[in-house]
Amino acid sequence: MDGVVPAADASDETLAARAAAGDDSAFEELVRRYQARVFRLACRITTDTDAPDVLQETFLQVYRNLPSFRGESQFGTWVYRIATNAALMHRRSSARRPGDSLESFLPGFDAEGRHTATPAELQVTARAEEALDRQVLAAKARDGIARLPDLYRTPFVLRDLEGLGTSDVARILSVEPATVRQRVHRARLMLRGYLAHLVEVQQ
Amino acid sequence: MSDVACASGVELLMDYLEGVLPPDVRAALDEHVAGCERCAAFVASYCDTPRILRDASAVTLPPDVEASLASFLRARTNSFRNRD
Repeated sequence: MDGVVPAADASDETLAARAAAGDDSAFEELVRRYQARVFRLACRITTDTDAPDVLQETFLQVYRNLPSFRGESQFGTWVYRIATNAALMHRRSSARRPGDSLESFLPGFDAEGRHTATPAELQVTARAEEALDRQVLAAKARDGIARLPDLYRTPFVLRDLEGLGTSDVARILSVEPATVRQRVHRARLMLRGYLAHLVEVQQ
Repeated sequence: MSDVACASGVELLMDYLEGVLPPDVRAALDEHVAGCERCAAFVASYCDTPRILRDASAVTLPPDVEASLASFLRARTNSFRNRD
C-alpha cells in the first residue's frame, strides 16, 4: 500500500499521486529530489541571475499541474519539460545581447572533403582541462554554451549536459529524435572547436 | 579504403554513436576512421566535448536559493489551496 511507504523511499510517481491529493510532505520530497537538477538546467539555459526565478516558476507549475500528471512519461521527464519551458520563457523575455557566433569553430575541410587541420590540432580539445585554470574553464564553458544558437543550446543541454535520452529530449521539445540528434551534433561540433580554440590561445 | 570522406563521416558521427546508422554505412565509417589519423583524432575530441562541458558547467544549488524556494512554495501553495 502506497500510504505506508515513507516519502523518501517512494517512487516519484507515487509521490506525485500523493502530492496531487494534498500531501505536502510528498510534494516537499519531490522538490528535494529535483531542485538541484532544475537549478542547474536553469543556469545552463538562462543565467545564474535568472535561475532562481526559473526554479520557483518551475515548482509552482509542477504543483499546479500535478493533478493533470498522468504518468504517460516519467515524472522526471515531465519536470524537465516544465523547467525547460520556464527557462525558455525567461530567456525570451530577458533583453540579452547575442554573443559572437560559434560558426567559425566548425571543422574545416578541403575540396576533397578531408580535414584541413592536423591530427595534433584535431585532438587538442581533450587538453582543455589541463591547459586552462578550472575557474577560467568554467566561465568559458558557460560562455560557449550561452553563445550556441537557441535552436541547438536546449537539446544540447538536455541531452549532453543533463544526460537525458534522445527520445526524452524529443518529447520535451516536441520534435523528432532525428532532429534532436542533428541539433546536438551541431552544438558538439561548435563547442569542440571552441574548446580547441581556448587551448590554442592559451599556448 | 572506403569511399567515405572526412566531411561526410563527420556528419554521420552522432548517428553512429547513437547506433542508428545502417550496418553497411557504419562499417564504411569504421573502415574510414581506422585508416584516417585525422578522423581518429577528431572522433576522440568530439566524444570528449560533452563531458568536459558537463563537468565545467556544473553548479550546485546555493543554500540561500534553496531556502527562498522553500518559503516561496509555502506561501504560494497555501494561497493556491485557500482559493479552492
